[in-house]
This record gives sequence, C-alpha cells and structure tokens, in this order.
Amino acid sequence: MPVAPITRLLFAALIAAPALGAAPTPLPAEVQAMLSENCLECHDAASQKGDISLEFDAIDWSDSQQLDTWLRAFAAIDQGLMPPPKRPRPKASEKAAILSFLDQAFLTQIPIGGTPPRRLNHSEYEQTIRQLCHLPDFTLPVGFPNDTALHGFDNLAEDLVLSPSHLEAYSQVATSIADEIFPPQKPTPTPRSWTASPADLVLSFSAATVHGDALRLVSRSPDIMRSCTWPSKIEIQDSGTYRITIAASQFLSKTGHDFKGPMRLQVRARPVTATDRSRIEAFRLLKDIEITTETPATTSFDADLYTGETLIFWWANAEMTHSHAELAEHFRQWFSKDPHFLAAWQKAVFPRFPADDIRNANTTTLRGRNGWDKVSKSWADPQLDLSQASMDSRMTKAFLEIADSLQGTFNVADALCHFYHENGPALELHQVTLEGPSKLVQSPADLARKTLQERFTGPRQEGQSHADIARAMLSRFLPRAFRRPVDDSTLDTYLSLATRHWGEGHSLDEGLHLLLRQILISPRFLYRSLDPREGPMDDFDLATRLAYFLTSGPPDATLIDLAQRKRLNPDWVLRREAERLLPSKESAPFIQRFVGQWLDTATLHGIMPDPKFNFSETSVELAKRETERFFLEMLLQDLPMTDFIDPDFTFSTISFIQSNYGFTPPIAKQLGAKLDATERQRFMKIKLDRGGRHGGLLGQAAIMMATANGVDTQPVIRGVWVLENILGMPPPPPPKNVPALTPDTQGTSTPREQLSAHTEATACAGCHRRIDPIGFVLENYDPVGRWRTEWPGINTRIDPSGILPDGTAIRDAAEFKAWLLKNIDLFSTCLAEKLMTYATGRVLNYAERREIGTIVKTNHQNGNRFRQLLLALIDSQTFRTR
Amino acid sequence: MPTLPSSIAQSKLDRRLFLRSALATIALPSLEAFAAPAAGAPRPKNFIGIGTYLGWHQKAFFPKQTGPDYDLPLTLTPLRDQRADFTIFSGLDHRAPNGHDAWSNFLCGTTPGAYSLDQRIADSIGQQTRFPSFELTAGAGEVARAMSFTRQGIGLPMIQRPSVLYKKLFMSKADRARTEYLLRSGQSSLDLVLADAMRLQKALPQRDREKLDEYFESFRSVEKRMGRQLETINDPVPQPSYKLPNYDPITPNLQIEAETILYDLMALALETGSTRVMTLFLHGLGQVFSFEGEALSAGYHGLSHHGNDPKMIQDLVTIETAHIHCFSGFLKQLKQKKSPDGRSLFDDTVVLLGTGMGDASRHSNANLPTLVAGGGFKHGSHLAIDPSKPDAPLLGDLYLTLMQRLGMEVDAFSNASRNLNQLFSA
Repeated sequence: MPVAPITRLLFAALIAAPALGAAPTPLPAEVQAMLSENCLECHDAASQKGDISLEFDAIDWSDSQQLDTWLRAFAAIDQGLMPPPKRPRPKASEKAAILSFLDQAFLTQIPIGGTPPRRLNHSEYEQTIRQLCHLPDFTLPVGFPNDTALHGFDNLAEDLVLSPSHLEAYSQVATSIADEIFPPQKPTPTPRSWTASPADLVLSFSAATVHGDALRLVSRSPDIMRSCTWPSKIEIQDSGTYRITIAASQFLSKTGHDFKGPMRLQVRARPVTATDRSRIEAFRLLKDIEITTETPATTSFDADLYTGETLIFWWANAEMTHSHAELAEHFRQWFSKDPHFLAAWQKAVFPRFPADDIRNANTTTLRGRNGWDKVSKSWADPQLDLSQASMDSRMTKAFLEIADSLQGTFNVADALCHFYHENGPALELHQVTLEGPSKLVQSPADLARKTLQERFTGPRQEGQSHADIARAMLSRFLPRAFRRPVDDSTLDTYLSLATRHWGEGHSLDEGLHLLLRQILISPRFLYRSLDPREGPMDDFDLATRLAYFLTSGPPDATLIDLAQRKRLNPDWVLRREAERLLPSKESAPFIQRFVGQWLDTATLHGIMPDPKFNFSETSVELAKRETERFFLEMLLQDLPMTDFIDPDFTFSTISFIQSNYGFTPPIAKQLGAKLDATERQRFMKIKLDRGGRHGGLLGQAAIMMATANGVDTQPVIRGVWVLENILGMPPPPPPKNVPALTPDTQGTSTPREQLSAHTEATACAGCHRRIDPIGFVLENYDPVGRWRTEWPGINTRIDPSGILPDGTAIRDAAEFKAWLLKNIDLFSTCLAEKLMTYATGRVLNYAERREIGTIVKTNHQNGNRFRQLLLALIDSQTFRTR
Repeated sequence: MPTLPSSIAQSKLDRRLFLRSALATIALPSLEAFAAPAAGAPRPKNFIGIGTYLGWHQKAFFPKQTGPDYDLPLTLTPLRDQRADFTIFSGLDHRAPNGHDAWSNFLCGTTPGAYSLDQRIADSIGQQTRFPSFELTAGAGEVARAMSFTRQGIGLPMIQRPSVLYKKLFMSKADRARTEYLLRSGQSSLDLVLADAMRLQKALPQRDREKLDEYFESFRSVEKRMGRQLETINDPVPQPSYKLPNYDPITPNLQIEAETILYDLMALALETGSTRVMTLFLHGLGQVFSFEGEALSAGYHGLSHHGNDPKMIQDLVTIETAHIHCFSGFLKQLKQKKSPDGRSLFDDTVVLLGTGMGDASRHSNANLPTLVAGGGFKHGSHLAIDPSKPDAPLLGDLYLTLMQRLGMEVDAFSNASRNLNQLFSA
C-alpha cells in the first residue's frame, strides 16, 4: 500500500523512538480543556472527522497511529490550519499551552538518531571501489539495477532496498573486480599472421576511398573519423612484439598541384574499442614512415602491440585539413585563382543559385562524395553561371563563413576530401601484414597490475608463504573494506577460506581472487550504519558519515588515522576535517549529488526544450553549471544565506546572460574591443545588481527549467517545488479522487482562470491557496528561465500578483524575493533539513528538526553565513548519532 | 496526429481494408478468440525482435498497394521469393513525441524506457530455457544504449561481439571449467559470508534486523540460482559445426557482416533450444559501407539525414536493402531448421522487424515501418491502418496480438488495450 509522504515522515519519527515501552504521558487538564473547547466537536471518538480523533486522556507512545495523529495535530495548530478558518480562533495562551506541552512530550519521547543499515548507492559504490581497490576509472556496468529516490535523495537507508538482482549483480561485479586485480591465467599463444588489403580497412566518413588495389588517405585532421583508416579485422589477443609490414605509395596531383618532399605516414596503435570520435594523439605512435615513391614500397618494423589493439594509419603532413580556419584560407586562395571552382561550390550550396538569398545556404546534402559529385559536375560545365564568382560577392563571403565554422567544416571539408581522392595528392596504402607475437611483452596494463597487486598484499618478500601474503592483504584490506577495525577471529576466518582453497590445489592468486570476491559481497562492505550501540557514533562511523556526506566516498587515510587514534570526535577536529573535505569544483560528487537532487539540476539533460526556445545542449549545460557553481561559491566564500535569494553575482557566459537573461552585464562593456567570441563564451563570475529579475536560485535558468517541462510552464508544479525545496513546507499530495489540475498555459483562457477552480473549491483550497500564488509569481519566467510578460498563444499580460501563506500581498517576483529575504530562516531551515537528510540517510524526526531549527537561529545571530551553518550542522547531535 | 505518408496517401486505398481496421478497434470479448492458432497447430514459443536505429526509409518500405497484390517495395526486394512468409504493416505507431530520445520506444510503447515487449515475453515464457533472453547489437553507436528494458525500467546492455554470444551458447570446455570453478568456489565460501552476516544481524536492534533481512532473502535466492546453474553446467551443450571468423566484426563498417553472423547464431540458439527470446539492434553511425567494392557516397548516419536528395536516398536504401538481405537469410534458415521437438522453427517463432524511428531525416516517430514473419500467422499482405481515424489501432495493439499468440494472457500494452486479432490471425 502506498504511504503518503507525510505519514511516512511521521512513521519514521516513531520508528526512531526506542521508548516503545514508555509509560503513557497524561494530558494535563488545561490541554484537555483546550481540546474539548476547540477540537473535539469534530475530532471526538464518535465523529473522527478526517479520520482524526483527539479524544484521549494520555498520549500512548506504543500506538504508532496515535503518535502520528498528535504530530499532525501539532503541525495543524502551529501553522494555524486548525481549527478551520470559519471556526473561532483559540486564545493565544491556549494555543501556546498545548503546543508547549506537545513539544516537551515529543522531545522527551522521540530521541535523536536512528538510521537503519544503509546500503551504498550507485555512485557511493563506484566511488568506494575506486578508492578501496585503487581502480580510478571503475564504473558499474550498464544495466546495474537502479536506486530509488523516494524522499528527494537516492541515498536514504529506508529506500535503498537490496533485491536478489542487486546481490547477483554485486556478485558479478565483485568477480570482475577480482579478475582485474588477480586475472586468471591465459593459455600460451601461438604466433600467427594477418593480412589486410584495402577492402579490410575502415572507410570512415570521407577519410578514405579505395581506387583499384589502393586505399587513399587525404586529410591530416586530428579527428580520426575524418582522416584515418584502420584494419577492421585485426584485434591483438596477446600483448607482444609483432612484425608489421606496410606497402604504401604516393599518389600525386593530376592538376599540377605537386606535393613537395616525402609523405609522412604515421602508424599508431589503436584500441579496437576506442571511440571513432577519438583524436589521433590519443594513440601510441609506433612508427613514422617516409613515403617517397609513386610505386608501392614496402617497409617492415617490429613494434609492441597490446591486448585489444589494432593499427591506425594517419597521413601526418597531408595538404588537406579539416581545421576550419585553414580550410577557409585554402578555399580563399583557390577561389581567387579559379572563379569556375568558386561558382561550382556556390551552386552546390545555394539551392536557387545564382539568384539566391544567402540565408538559404544549405550544406546538409553536401555530405560525402555526393557533395563532391555535384561540385565537380558544375566545375566541368562550361556554361556555369559566373555572375557571383567574384571574391567580394555576398555569396562568396557567405560560403567562406560556412567553411570557417565548426558546423560547416564537416560537410564542406568532407566533400572537398573527394577532390583530393580523385586528383591527389593522396597517400596510398596497398597492404598491411602483421605477424607474431615473436615474444610476449607486458603491456602497460600488465605492469600497472603488478603495482596494483602490491598495493593489496604489500611488497612481496623472500620466503613469504601463501598464508603470509594473504594475511598481509587481509590486514590491509579488511578494515578499509569494512570501514572499521577488524578483530583477529574475523581475519582468521577469511584466511581459512583461502587456506582451504589452496589445499584443494588452487594457486596463490586464485585464493586471493576468492577472498576479494567474498569480501565485496559481505554486508559489512555493502552497508554502512551497522554499529548497534546507542548514543553518539564512534570515531570510525563518524569518519564514514562525514566522508560519504562530503565526498560520496569512503574515509581517506587522514580520517582513518584520526579515527584510529580516536581524535575525530572533538568539535574543532570534526569541523577542521569537514572544511578539508569541502568540494573545490562544481564537478565534485557533493555538488553533483546533493545540488543535483535538491535543485533537480541532475534532471536537466532529460528535458528537451521546445525548438522554439532555441536552447541547445550547450545552453542546458551552462544553465546547470551556473546553479552548481553558484552553490559552490556560496559555500567556499561563506556568503550570507540571503545571497541564495538575492546575490550580486552569478556564474555564466556573457553570451548566455545576454540571450537568456536579456541584459548586457557591465563586464561586457569593460571588455570593450576585447569582447570577442572566446570572451563571450568564457564561463566566469558576473556581477549583477541586487533586487533584479535574475540572480539567486529563483530565476536561474536551471531551476526554471527543472520546474517546467521544456514546452510550457505549470504554476502548480513550480508552486509545489518552491514550497518543498525553498520554503520547506511541502503540501500533502492531492487527494486521490481528484484529477491533477495542471492547466495548459497555451490554451485559450488564461491559466489564472483555469486555476481559480482550485482556490475556490473547498477540497482544494486549503493547499492551493499556498501553492498557486507562488507558482504564478514565477510565471514571468518561461520554461527555460527567460523573462516574459505575456502568456504565449493567448497574448494576455501575465498577472503574477498574489497573496502569500502569511497574508502578505506581493506584486511580482522581486517582491517575492524581498519577502523571502525578510523570512530567510524559512529558507535556511529548508536547506539545512535537506542537507541533513542527505547526510544522515533518514527522514528527520521531530527532535532532529527542533535541533536544526535552533542551529539555524543561532547561525543567523552569528552573521548567517552558509559554510558556518554547514559546519554547525555537522557538529550537531543529529549528525553525530547513527 | 500523425499524417499519412505520401506514398500511402497517393496510392489507391483498399476501402474494405480500412473498414476492417476500424472493426479491429472494437474490444474483443475473448483474448483467445482470434489469437488461437489454427485447429490442432501448437502455439509458437519463440520471439525475435529486430530494430534499426535510423529507421527504414518509408517510401521504399511501404508498398503502394494494400492487400496481397502489392508491388514489392525496393527495400524488401530480397524477400521476393518469401512473400507468403511475412506481413507488412503501415500506419502503426505509439503516438510518441518526436525527437532522438523517443527512439528507444520501439519495443516500449509510448514511453521510452518502459518495460519492453521482449522482456515481458521473456518474463513470461523465457524462464524454462538456459537463457531467458539475449539482447544483441550489430554495430555500436554512442546515442542509443538500449532497446530492451526490464520491468524496473533498466536498459539492458547488448552483446556486440559474436564471439561472446557464441561462448555463452556453446561454452567451450575451458569456459565451462572457469564458470564451474567460480560457482563452486563461490558457493563453498558463501557459508562464511552468511555466518558473518548472521553474527552482525544478531547484534542489531529489531528494526535494523528487518532491514538486513533483505540481504538474507536475496542471499538465499542467489544461492539457489547458483545451485541450479551448477546442476546444468555439465549437461551436454550443443557443439555446432559453425565456425566463427577469427576476428569480431565490431567496427561499424562491418555491420552487415556482424548482422549475418548474429542471425546465424540466433537461428542456432533457437534450434538448440538455448533461449526463446532475442532482440537484435541494428545501430547506425558515420560508417561508410562498401557494396561489391563500391563505397557509398556518405556514412549511414549522414545518409539518413538525406533532406530528400535522391542520390542520398538511393544509397540509404542500398544499406537498408542489405539489412533485409540478411533478414531474408535468417527467415530461410528458420524455414529449414526444426525446433528441438521437431516442429518448423519458422512456425514456432514470431519475428517482428521494425524501428522506433519513423523518419530519421526529420526525427519523426510517427508511422513506424513494421513487418511480422513466422509464428503461424496467415501472411502475404500489406495491412494499412489509417492513423487519422480517432480510434485507429496502435502498434501496441499489434504487440498484444503477438503476445497473445505466444500464449500470454495480456490485454494492455503501454497506451494500447485492444489487439489486431481480427485483422491478423492464423
């Protein structure tokens, strides 16, 4: 049965209470009087309106439903939602009395702490293996079961279930990690030979063509898919020395365009599985061969090739290039010599040549040889219209601009490649043979593995027995894998496993392989938060919580050392270590995982903005980075909490600010003539005026995007999002029998008219009076965060005004921000609770929220700085208790 | 609303057929009524799904005429002698939005990444064989990462190397020994992990113990599976005489070669009863294909963005025809081969060929080219659905028919809740 979030939260609060046997707390007379006067008319045992009865003499702590009722009653009275608006208000003294009684009762009975065993989630597991097994590039395989995020974060203990498919997947991953470190023995290879003719070489885009028995290369683009070829049917199985023989020749120009000097053919080693988007310098150079003759000449050499590699061929000094600046220059020289050639390209690119609008230029059908066929046909046509074929015609300039752009290069240069394929100069490959291995070599991967093994077992010493080596490994590895000291009997149990395995005739490495496999599926590795003791966590668990909170990974050597010496606990050490682990880049796991989930920047790549917004993948990336970098700055500079709402800076590019936020920042004027394309695209800190439309979380493109759907905005969704993530007062989910009311803002009547239904209907009004005004005040931001004044489609001016939950009337987003600044503790508390939920992996209970509330207030009095708040939270009881 | 492709709009439509398709939209009283095989014939029990990343050029895939007497479209020419073995569908799709990301809804229905057709089938009928299902790909790319999705929405990784599939199917002695070694050594040490976990659990308070119960339950399930695997590991594995080349055709330009080999292995997998459910993904990147020594004018992906240039379309159709050529060979193998129980593999297998991309040049996901072969259906026609009708059947309705044919009691798939049984039956 699905449990609504609010009950879940309160249920968690109860779970946290070990006081299950605690005696009931009697309700004092004045509280009973207040209840009977104000509440029991509807909420007595007989009526139970809304299934709530408050007719009790005492709070029975053993009854979870009753506790749930009291917590809800507390919130309803505290926020003034009950008694309902039409009923008389209770006296202030009555209200204070019942709230203070309940508060004290809750605080006595609901202790801080209570995170159940917490499985490592996807990213924590990856980060853990990277550090623990010294495998910095480790990632879980595609298809590894996903984690669930039911409370806004994917690292909550309750939600991180472990299913058979998880354990099966963990077991397989453990085997592949063990294979990586102690690989199974391979059989001895027998030498063989491969021969590749041009038909066995890859033709990628326009990089290569086959003419008779030769394959021609023409470009020196560093992008291999534009310039290179490689044998498709060779994949080295065994690292070793191989004899490579290549027959190659020059193919020189038919057009009097002679190539001077030798052609330099580079032979490099390419992993077969490397992406075709690789650049040539990514591959190891085996040999630089000079090709000097027009008849095929054969070169042989020995080179080491490693498992999984093939060869790749690149003509290092080709005339042709895909670099757009050089390409445009090339065309310019060519065109000034040959107007016919110029006109032929114009005709291929402008559909209605010679009388076309230059904006109609289209290079998409130029792809490959097809494009060159068109150009060469026109080039050979004596009737070709030369009216535009001057260097200063608009068409020529437009063409050169296309050639000199990243996008244009692909199509134009690929077509031009075929000119060279036909006319030269080109480098011709005739045959490649490979024989070997003549001897086996250790690949860099093999050598790295030796070092890696020593990190597990320590340097091998003369006379060490199998058991010595395994014991050395276990005493290093087990405490790190389990994140706690491991006693001798546990270590011996594992050792006995290996001993038994050797006894059955298996090798040393097989025994170590087995140990690794088993350790990595132990619950002590897969779960944290396993120490059953009550009270504050010990230094090891504290180190673990701190490390996973701030780095998504296990404790580093410094933390482990502090824990071993029991030195982490003092507040000044804990705060110092927390400061040390703070992220320094927006790509750090803490920013990516925490901000990504709190502000939903992690979801941006799944949103496809409608093409009408002209918001590219790059824009999405910039929007995401703005929010992440902004958060990082708040943290690193220890800025006041109010700067989250109304700062005087942001991070972006001048170009993005201009196109998305609609103004030119002062820095652009200061740069003056230095403001070129590079400067426009540079990501930097940009000064803003306070009190404006943009700046601060509300109004950042990323957040306005995450709260829309790429096509239109939905005030209810934004309203709920702000209540939940900025104000910390999530509304309960809508009643089940009511269809979701998310108006189409592109419709004919205004969204306000459509939504007025909810603020009038009594069933909806309670929540929607809180939700809708906040949604509407943000309606001036379109689905990608640009400012707009009219609703699209209906040409109606947006009316963003509304009344906030506390009765404040606001006219627009600026006034909403001003209100937030006055009530900044609402935001600070919200953020603090999100941070602590993420850190502790549990939904916070009453006592924990109270502690956080106090920390926020104290921090406010001390300057209200963000980093100080974070450190105070880390130093809290809530953080320090399991 | 998807628009009718011009190739169909221009052709003379068979009015009777449209009437019948409108009938098909009426919910049927019994699932079994039409999906049942002809009297006496047993149900098919295998499912094969084949999908291209870059779609199928519609004008060369959809016949101009409907019904049985259509002129064979260009892309399908390799199937000229097999006309009685397949049915072409036009006008079907999932009513999904356009764009790159929607591609993967081919087998998922209207939501990309939802529980895919093949996995539903595998979960229903795949459990009796050594492998519940295989997900294969010929060629690799960077955008699409999965075509099959589990019930939980996990995209399944695809096997690209024929040698890997071959090893799984016909495990060599050495591989079998390794697997057995890993299983046995793992199994014998599970006790230790378990004993340690129990010690750990005992120390925990009640509510934490309940959390760790998840671990123990999973543990027992994994242990059972290992036991089952060990029981069957020494069962005789079919050792076919089939010889793989000594390299894996994984570079994109060897896609057609990879496809041919994978089809061979798929037929062998069915023949040996190793699995019942397989999907094959035909990826597309910038690779330039050569046919009979002649290179095409641009890479596959480039050609798919043909912008209606006739030369580029011609080359694109050449590649797609090559795909169908391989497909034709696969159908012929199914015709020749027999199931382990002696039935025709062709009748025993429902083969679906399609795509999630209706028109790659425009990234449109409407009117998806679709073809069904085998499975004991009455084939030989082009069934045109008019998608402009408000109650027109969806591609999901065809999937329901296919699932029902395989004996599954289902009446809903994604946005579809009817079937095509009345149009398409034994």
